[in-house]
Amino acid sequence: MTLPRLLARTALATLALAAGLGAASAQALPPLPKAIQAAGLLRAGVRCDQPPYGYKDESGNFAGIETEMAIQIAAWAFGSPDRIELTCVTAENRIPQLMGRKVDILLATLGVTPERARVIDFSKPYRWGGSDMLVPKDSPIKKLDDVAGKTVVMLKGSTQAKWFEDTMPKVETLRLNTASDALQALKQGRGDAYTHDAATLVVVAAKDPSLRLVGESFAVTDAAAGLRKNDPEWMAYVDAALARMKAEGLYAKWVDKWVPADLRPFYAEAFTTAKPTAR
Amino acid sequence: MEFDLAYLMAQGPALMRGLWLTIQVSLLSIVLSVGVGLLGAAVRVLEVPVLDRVVRAYVEFIRNTPMLAQLFFIFYGLPGIGLKLSLFWSGVLCLTLWAGAYQIENLRGGLATVGKGLREASYALGLTPWRFFHLVAAPLAIRVALPAMLNTAISLLKNSSYLQAIGLAELTYVAIDRISMDFRTIEMFAAICVIYLALVLVLSFLASRLEFRLNAPFRH
Repeated sequence: MTLPRLLARTALATLALAAGLGAASAQALPPLPKAIQAAGLLRAGVRCDQPPYGYKDESGNFAGIETEMAIQIAAWAFGSPDRIELTCVTAENRIPQLMGRKVDILLATLGVTPERARVIDFSKPYRWGGSDMLVPKDSPIKKLDDVAGKTVVMLKGSTQAKWFEDTMPKVETLRLNTASDALQALKQGRGDAYTHDAATLVVVAAKDPSLRLVGESFAVTDAAAGLRKNDPEWMAYVDAALARMKAEGLYAKWVDKWVPADLRPFYAEAFTTAKPTAR
Repeated sequence: MEFDLAYLMAQGPALMRGLWLTIQVSLLSIVLSVGVGLLGAAVRVLEVPVLDRVVRAYVEFIRNTPMLAQLFFIFYGLPGIGLKLSLFWSGVLCLTLWAGAYQIENLRGGLATVGKGLREASYALGLTPWRFFHLVAAPLAIRVALPAMLNTAISLLKNSSYLQAIGLAELTYVAIDRISMDFRTIEMFAAICVIYLALVLVLSFLASRLEFRLNAPFRH
């Protein structure tokens, strides 16, 4: 079975289930805003290089948990999981894409920060995410403070870029555009460490025995859907949809679907437990 | 969102640092690429065996592949075969190779206007091919090629903005980096467009001065 068909079928099955449950538990969603209704489909921005949240699988199809969330919202809003237009967004272009009306919602590993809240609105958080660092296996870097005086690779516009600028401004940074660029730069020794969302690095470290995680969590933020400012109707709809996903246990199902068994507890925690404290 | 001039002023120092790097990397690459152009054009015009084919292949390769692909090849590809250049020198190498290919063609076009008679006359006077090239042909050819060479130099300056992709903190990098943190898209892109425009105008002015100087023998 091809992936789109698989996705469609899963979504349909979910829909049927949801219809049944909906009647019972009265999880009715608020009315869809007129503008979205008129568009006839959901235009969502998702990541394409951040497994397991948003990525392209081997055959180039959209995949991942946040992609699944976007498809689910389309299914609820329009009665069909096909009524969706997915766009790949990057850390540095996702907010401009939203503000430029290329997409109507971001489900794109978007951390809640005050700088971003100035220009866009956030839904209620649906998970949290911390940051970590990836270093070569034999690196002397054992904890966060060990990067003082070294070069750290990161993505332009990432939570980590902001965090290092505010918290450790003396650290030399190399800011690239995509996660694959950053990983390559680390492997070629252009930086001493590569910092990103822990969720992303866990997958990379599991696959690549020449690298290891530093394991000190920092810059923990809530992840939420991003919407343009001042659209209370759409916000109410998205918040209700996210609450319904949680109530129906969809996150756990999607973690099972998109995360290899040995990494599942890490991701399940991010969706179900409270945000831990770290610097 | 309204245009926020105060924000732009606050970003001034960061933009100036980016501008300085853009100027350094561009000027160095312009000078080096003219050198590459002169050498390559000499090889082509003097029909040096073997090298002539190498230069031809180089020009075709550079002209027919995207510069961004060349840049990624230099930055991410070359370390695989043991050549790891710093960010700065990766940028200079990429821009020099790119513009060098065009300068070869520009100068070759200029050299085509140097008649066969001049070459025969020079050889008859006992000039070696190399002396003919740098004493007779090159000075004449550069006058003709100068407008095209300026075009290439301007393109080089603008193409230096590609270097943001490898993380070199030049002008465009600074703008994109700040936008991705502060989301002041209009202010930042407007600012760097004005700065690039000013840079190109200065470059054009310098080139027109040079053209004036070079044409001194033909003025009355």
